[in-house]
Amino acid sequence: MSEDSGTRTPALVHAGTRAGREDDDGSERGTRGGDARALRRRAPVAERSRSIRQRASLRWALARSAAPLAWCPSASMLRRIPRAAWICALVAGLNATCWSIVTPAFEIPDEPDHYAYVKQLAETGSLPSPNSTRFAKEERITLVGLRYYKVRQQPQHDAIGSRAEQNKLQEDLLLASQASEVGSPTAGVAASQPPLYYALETVPYDLAGGTVLDRLQLMRLMSALMAGLTAMFVFLFIREALPREPWAWTVGGLAVALAPLLGFISGAVNPDSLLFAVSAAIFYALARAFRRGLSTGAAASIGALTAVGLLTKLNFIGLTPGILLGLTVLTVRAARSSPVRLAHRRLALAVGVAFSPVVVYACINALSNHPPLGLVSGALQTLHGSIFAEINYIWQLYLPRLPGTFNDFPGLFTTKQLWFNGYVGLYGWLDTTFPGWVYSVAPIPAGTIALLCGRALFESRAALRSRAAELAVYAVMAVGVMALVGAASYHGFPAVQAEFAEARYMLPMLALLGAALALAARGAGPRWGRAAGTLIVILFLSHDVFSQLLVVGRFYG
Amino acid sequence: MTQPARIALVAGLALLAVAVGLTLSRSPMSIARTNGTPLREYRVAETAQGATYCQPHELLPSGTSAIRLSLSAFTGPRVRVVVSSGGSTVTSGTRGSGWTSRVVAVPVKPLPRAVSNATVCASFRTHHETVTVFGMRAPSALATRQGRRTLQGTMTIEYLRPGTRSWASMAPSIARRLGLGRASTGTWIVLLPLALLAVIAAAASKLLLKELS
Repeated sequence: MSEDSGTRTPALVHAGTRAGREDDDGSERGTRGGDARALRRRAPVAERSRSIRQRASLRWALARSAAPLAWCPSASMLRRIPRAAWICALVAGLNATCWSIVTPAFEIPDEPDHYAYVKQLAETGSLPSPNSTRFAKEERITLVGLRYYKVRQQPQHDAIGSRAEQNKLQEDLLLASQASEVGSPTAGVAASQPPLYYALETVPYDLAGGTVLDRLQLMRLMSALMAGLTAMFVFLFIREALPREPWAWTVGGLAVALAPLLGFISGAVNPDSLLFAVSAAIFYALARAFRRGLSTGAAASIGALTAVGLLTKLNFIGLTPGILLGLTVLTVRAARSSPVRLAHRRLALAVGVAFSPVVVYACINALSNHPPLGLVSGALQTLHGSIFAEINYIWQLYLPRLPGTFNDFPGLFTTKQLWFNGYVGLYGWLDTTFPGWVYSVAPIPAGTIALLCGRALFESRAALRSRAAELAVYAVMAVGVMALVGAASYHGFPAVQAEFAEARYMLPMLALLGAALALAARGAGPRWGRAAGTLIVILFLSHDVFSQLLVVGRFYG
Repeated sequence: MTQPARIALVAGLALLAVAVGLTLSRSPMSIARTNGTPLREYRVAETAQGATYCQPHELLPSGTSAIRLSLSAFTGPRVRVVVSSGGSTVTSGTRGSGWTSRVVAVPVKPLPRAVSNATVCASFRTHHETVTVFGMRAPSALATRQGRRTLQGTMTIEYLRPGTRSWASMAPSIARRLGLGRASTGTWIVLLPLALLAVIAAAASKLLLKELS
């Protein structure tokens, strides 16, 4: 996110200004050396030790608040995870690691902001201010040295490419690492996000030491681990939701592990990486509860995961109506087979565990002069237009408009041009695309997969009817996420037509994608199902390889 | 693993290898010419309704197959580019809506030969979404036109055509550049993603062979 636009329109989902402009801050170069040396001489020891104390106290507070929510699998639970799920996790983690190497530093939406948030939290123990607009000097120097402002959104400019530029960058990094400035005055669009992901990232931040780039790489690897968790939970979700054909679990799990968008985002410092993992986990927990009933453990797990999700990123709010519906359905079912009071107690446990951190978060925000619910508060204050206009807008953001409604997207087929094309390939700061023919050809394999999935659903229609409530829960979760992104985009409309129409915001539903792919493989029938599943995985692998080649060509070609 | 699945795996991987090889044997688009590289960019125009902006006195190199315009938008509209010279259309092309960036490349019918003193017109319609034209300040004789109005600068335009070198021949320089601008530097960095991708492909294949049996 840009320095100058870090605190613009409040929104639940932040993508940064896709078309924001900044100039290379040349004036910074002329003065930073002297300033940095002077600041270093004055390095306030007392301030640093105070900072360390603050950090320790904040981490203690975070750990304490998270302790009852921590979902600590025992060794026996881990042993029950199939080997195939571990391999899916390994593939996803390695893939995100690969992406973290091929993508230049900070050339991913909002990564400078997320880094700044971690820096602030790690060095001061306090949350970043939503009012300031300048990054810490250390980060600014690094961004200028990397030619970030020239490269971002301008595919005609490559990443730095000469030894002279590298030497200059090394000097700048050394100088920047010696700056005595503590924390980061701003964290741009990330400022109002909850702190859990950033708190976790303070660990690699501290461990790495060194320069900004050392810390960034280790922080990216932490995100890559979360990609592994995502793939594992997707596998486990498919196993619970579609238990009949074990081989199909591998198809869904592996395909998701190889999804380039998952690797791209999880190869960066971005809370979406944890959001994807916790979203996949909540789908798994719900599927497990639907299959085995709402035990006390299941209720606590669902509550804890919801709490973790709400502490990770505000986008998780979109999933909560579905989660609450799921808990309600499960409670009604449990009340039929066990004492009503016990069922209600489990519901209360889940809801209590889920929302207690929100109360803590609101208190922390209130005490630090932030809006109580972060960006949610801002979004609620900036609602505009009629509710029908907003619903119409949200509908059209995803689907063709209904007859008789006002056209909010004239000349734009949003389903294809924003969402499908965005999933097929839109990397870097949304400035890296495949040649046009790729987007024309891509609907063929996608359509084939959709047809096979439809066939499998049709053949399983009797089973579907008996699981209608469970499917409704997943549908409400998906619609909740889509509605949230749509509502956030509507705040900027009509000046900006579709501010948050980025495919990555749909990745909390990766578990459903994995299930759809597993179903598609099954849809090819008993004879060809495994071959179809293999081809689906190869398709995702190919998509991933060519996406990484695209990024390499864009930045280093 | 069943026989069809095994065949699908081998054929799929072979096809992927062939596709990568073919891609590497092709040349990336390169900038054949630009009408100026501004030291400090200037907002030539801004519109929320749509307009036609024409840049006169352009020289288009032979082989031009895409024209990159300095237009900025969040959700860019459909853009049509028409190049005319001496009263007749030389080439044209369209880029669909939905792009997002600070530049937009519009593919055009490749030019068999260079064209001088051409006028490049970019047309689009928007509905509230703001599109900004970037360029540099210029005297009115060289400036971009919007209808009969002369703006205060020229729109930056780049002319792209397939380069002379293949991706494969550029591999050493790409490897060297990939090793810059990061925590640990060196050309050896390129081996990491290659090794990781190999491990990923091997692990996925082995898992498919085992689980889909």
